Amino acid sequence: MASQPRRGGVSLPDRRAPKNTNPDGIITKLINAPIVSRGKQAACDAVYISKKLLRSTGKAAWIAGTTFLILVVPLIIEMDREQQLNELELQQASLLGAPPVNPTLPVPR
Amino acid sequence: MDVDPTKEVTHQTTSSCSTMAGLVPPGATINTDPSNAKSKEDEKVDYFNLPCPIPYEEIHREALMSLKPELFEGLRFDFTKGLNQKFSLSHSVFMGPIEVPSHQTTDALKVPTAHYEFGANYIDPKLMLIGRVLTDGRLSARVKCDLTDNLSLKANAQLTNEDHMSHGMINFDYKGKDYRSQFQFGNGALLGASYIQSVTPRLSLGGEVFWAGQHRKSGIGYAGRYETDKMVATGQVASTGMVALSYVQKLSEKVSLASDFMYNYMSRDVTASVGYDYILRQCRLRGKIDSNGCTAAYLEERLNMGLNFILSAEIDHRKKDYKFGFGLTVG
Repeated sequence: MASQPRRGGVSLPDRRAPKNTNPDGIITKLINAPIVSRGKQAACDAVYISKKLLRSTGKAAWIAGTTFLILVVPLIIEMDREQQLNELELQQASLLGAPPVNPTLPVPR
Repeated sequence: MDVDPTKEVTHQTTSSCSTMAGLVPPGATINTDPSNAKSKEDEKVDYFNLPCPIPYEEIHREALMSLKPELFEGLRFDFTKGLNQKFSLSHSVFMGPIEVPSHQTTDALKVPTAHYEFGANYIDPKLMLIGRVLTDGRLSARVKCDLTDNLSLKANAQLTNEDHMSHGMINFDYKGKDYRSQFQFGNGALLGASYIQSVTPRLSLGGEVFWAGQHRKSGIGYAGRYETDKMVATGQVASTGMVALSYVQKLSEKVSLASDFMYNYMSRDVTASVGYDYILRQCRLRGKIDSNGCTAAYLEERLNMGLNFILSAEIDHRKKDYKFGFGLTVG
């Protein structure tokens, strides 16, 4: 039985006649049809590739995210702080009317 | 002549040839614009009054400052107490894993350690003495002493309880008007000499020779450094197969970007890295990423007068090696 549909796959016109007489075999023939098996193969491949793609993009996103967290996030926070300090100083300057002397020196190396 | 006078001046300065002088209209030579006058003045280099170059071993200084912060893993606490103007004591505690190179695998082994370090410093403009003792028995000492205005002596020594790990070195530095030279004497019959000379106000070139008698190795190296107000570019080659190039661009007073490239001909390994260095009012932040996929950041935050908070992070995705450290520096 297993060898028969494979033979049938080679010569399509022969298969057409017993297809009608044997309704039970339609599904099995359909399942074993080359187009179906190729489709199955394609689906399997697609799933495999998409899984791999998803995994690699996930990994890439993880690396990019952690790198961003290390390199850029502290920079943003510190720039924001600096901005706030500058604004505060500007406010104080406008309130007092005199340009303030900068008491804080940069961090020693 | 319908030539723009400013254009003419730059043209004249770029070609110092005297035949060009005939083409210059008389109005161009009498220049009122100060920037043009300055650029013209810069062009006339007094080769007998070149600035003193920086020492040979420090030619990568700016790039190293930005790209190689002292990354650590674990906790560190440093406390420095000044007893008077010149004398100070330092105490520091470190806890965390340190990497020990293992023989079986290429990766380094992490060994958890904790140690306390006691140090004494004497700092005077003419004489600097620094000593450090660790609880695991290591002792290091450094001396820097100006013998005369031009000649200075530097000595380093390290004593450990392991064999062949103790070493000492004495350097004599001579600082000339537009050159520096250095002689090195170390244990294990190590001899070295280096010389660096300013060639133009911005360019300095140097070379070194060394001989390690114990390992029967000798080498020669050359280095060059080009420096302007905005950038520093350096290059170094040595007969050990090492090629190192670095470039630092100062975007502003606070921000500089650095990149470096290292190539070893013998071991065939190449690394390149880029990084930034932000010096803000309350903090200093350095970050870098290199071609091995290793990302690092180092943040020094000023919490208060004399109180600094340090955060260090290093991520190596390829080796799955993650190092995070924090610390406090008091004093």
